[in-house]
Amino acid sequence: MKNKDTQDLLDLASELRWEVGENFHDTLVEGIYTDAAQIAQKTEIKIGEPNPYSFERKLDRVLTSKKYGFPIMILILSIILWLTIQGANYPSGLLASFFLEFLHPILKTGAFQLGLPWWLDGFLIDGVYLALGWVISVMLPPMAIFFPMFTLLEDFGYLPRVAFNLDSLFKKSGAHGKQALTMSMGWGCNAAGVVATRIIDSPRERLIAIITNNFSLCNGRWPTQILIATIFIGALVPDGFSSIVASIAVIGIALLGVGFTFLSSWILSKTLLKGEVSTFALELPPYRPPNLWTTLYTSLIDRTLIVLWRAMVFAGPAGAIIWLISNIYVSDLSLANITIDWIDDFGLFFGLNGVILLAYVVAIPANEIVIPTILMLTVARLNLMGAGDGVMFELESTTETATLLHAGGWTLLTGINLMFFSLLHNPCSTTIYTIYQETKSWKWTTFASIMPVILGFLVTFLVTQIWQLFH
Amino acid sequence: MSLFLEMKQLFAAMPPLLNIGYVLLIFSILLVVFILKKHQYSLRWVLPFKNKEKSITEDLLKQLYHVASSGRTTDFKMLSGALKISERKILKIVESMTQNGLIKISGSHVTLTETGKNYALSIIRIHRLWEKYLSEKTGFDKSLWHDLAETKEHQLSNEEVEQLYEELGRPRFDPHGDPIPTALGEMISETGTSIAEIPKDTIAKIIHIEDEPRSIYRQIIKEKLHIGAHVKILASENHHIIFESEGHSIQLSTVVASNIQVVLLKSREVYEEGKVRLSSLTEGEHATILGISTECRGANRRRLLDLGFIKGTLLTLEYMGPNQNPRAYRLRNTLIALRNDKADFILIEKTQYDRTGSL
Repeated sequence: MKNKDTQDLLDLASELRWEVGENFHDTLVEGIYTDAAQIAQKTEIKIGEPNPYSFERKLDRVLTSKKYGFPIMILILSIILWLTIQGANYPSGLLASFFLEFLHPILKTGAFQLGLPWWLDGFLIDGVYLALGWVISVMLPPMAIFFPMFTLLEDFGYLPRVAFNLDSLFKKSGAHGKQALTMSMGWGCNAAGVVATRIIDSPRERLIAIITNNFSLCNGRWPTQILIATIFIGALVPDGFSSIVASIAVIGIALLGVGFTFLSSWILSKTLLKGEVSTFALELPPYRPPNLWTTLYTSLIDRTLIVLWRAMVFAGPAGAIIWLISNIYVSDLSLANITIDWIDDFGLFFGLNGVILLAYVVAIPANEIVIPTILMLTVARLNLMGAGDGVMFELESTTETATLLHAGGWTLLTGINLMFFSLLHNPCSTTIYTIYQETKSWKWTTFASIMPVILGFLVTFLVTQIWQLFH
Repeated sequence: MSLFLEMKQLFAAMPPLLNIGYVLLIFSILLVVFILKKHQYSLRWVLPFKNKEKSITEDLLKQLYHVASSGRTTDFKMLSGALKISERKILKIVESMTQNGLIKISGSHVTLTETGKNYALSIIRIHRLWEKYLSEKTGFDKSLWHDLAETKEHQLSNEEVEQLYEELGRPRFDPHGDPIPTALGEMISETGTSIAEIPKDTIAKIIHIEDEPRSIYRQIIKEKLHIGAHVKILASENHHIIFESEGHSIQLSTVVASNIQVVLLKSREVYEEGKVRLSSLTEGEHATILGISTECRGANRRRLLDLGFIKGTLLTLEYMGPNQNPRAYRLRNTLIALRNDKADFILIEKTQYDRTGSL
């Protein structure tokens, strides 16, 4: 009897559901929201209304205006990058001389006195230790400058306005407006940029932001760009203009990276990651004076040290591998030289060379060690006397580096292509690991790692073909 | 090593750019891309024969169901035309369907048996549930829903469908306003009338927008018409009708308009005369929120509610981005930036009060 009643009731409910329509859940929820808002309204006491002509509103109008919005944005970014590159020079030099010139000989002597066999000493000190020393001295200062400045801007409330300004461009490429933030974060470090994509709530657009973050020229790549631009492009014009021309070339590469970000976001959102753009609802918080000490602390601990630690974990083994391939000989040739001979033609076909390709393979752990590795491999290949096989070093002056590279058969084309390839190649292993951590998908991690390399080969190939057409 | 030597010779043999090989390669890639694009939604010919037969059978059942529910009859020729499959093949499949007791044939007329009808309803159920899923959980454009569901309906198993049904909160209507049959095959019949038959000055609510044929559907969604929108008929003539919806006046030809089904407003529903979309607000103007359109669903809708876009809230358009898009609105003393296509979903009434953040 009772069962029959229940059944009747259920049937009635089922029948009535046809009548209430599909959105009764929403109506209910909205009713609750409205009631809550009304109750809050009754009990809330407001003191003073916001001044409609406050400083904040005026500032907003300037920062987001059609005329000044973009120039101000580019100006602020250039200042930050300039401060980072210039400001990092001195502490980097200091750290490098401490690790490489002061501590390294002491360690070598110590190892000699302990009577360590040459291979163990070389493997540990010339391989692992030197790579770690390089990574710390080249990575730590720029990150310790860039991230706090970036966080200060974020705290002040400017970054949401950047996202607001750039949104229409990102909308056109099918991406999320907040990708502007993760993209600029990537100029500091791609791994940090990938972590920062957590602010994007839609999974599809977050994946786009993660995959395209590699097109932001990171701190580890700026020095390479600046060095190569100075040697090959700056040398094209009279001395007085060379640094300006070189800077323009580097900024051009960075902007090209932004272009590739938009282009690949657009292609991805039209093909593999098809779908409509989700709601872009960005809160524009009021401007407030940034909290200096908290900012410094959190950006140093949360961003700089974590990223540095990951880089070190990967750089140690890389140093060991570099040392090994330069010191293991097969019939009078080191493994490094055999490999370079083997891939040299492949490299030349793309307007690069075997040294560059090998350097990019062994320097996957950190972009910072690409230039030292290239120099070391070039010296080893030319059988010049360097610091010793498998020992990374950097030459005192740009002129010396230029002489060495020219001796290694480098041309203007090699320089230009290296700049392109430095922008468009696989992310460093720290970033790859971070991408896996964030996406938990091997498929997308592989895609994000391989897609830029293919693009890089495509671009260098085209550049080489066009170059050959005119020469 | 030897492989590499060969590659080296290959590279050396290629003159730059103008090689006929490159041109052929590029053209063949373009051709493949073009063909794939064209056949994006009808990749049937790639499927193994068994699946192919299954999907044709199911499409045929669906077609027969729709024909029967609109009170018409059909023959092989019409079926062949509707499904774009040769008559010979249809005959072959119809034969096996008769053997399985899904259909009855009398003369050249084909009708569904009870089993066939239930089968058809279960396919319709999957189709509409999948459209519901696409609308709630994914970001696919609504013009793609139908085609995606058209392939998916042949692939889902019964267990998967039940799981989907639970996950979606046991929906009764698909995003086009069509009823979703229950697992037992119960469904209400559609009661709306075509908007083209409504007399002048009547106020009605859209309850259904037919998603086939695709060209007409595209035309309707281009006008941003959606289910749940109130319409007021301004003029109804032989070849076209003019009506007002959410502050916009829209003109449609009778053919297109007959794909929109409406019902008259129930007595407890009020037609708000000044109802317009938030995107029509200009800088410095004030407005009261009347609600969020039903077209905005799932996570997007909840996000707007969380931000405070709730009925009764006052807001102001504070300023616009460099390209007039997005725009920053101030409500409850917070600045929120919205893209214009999302602001289309928020319905407002313009007000004069120079006071923000209160009800």
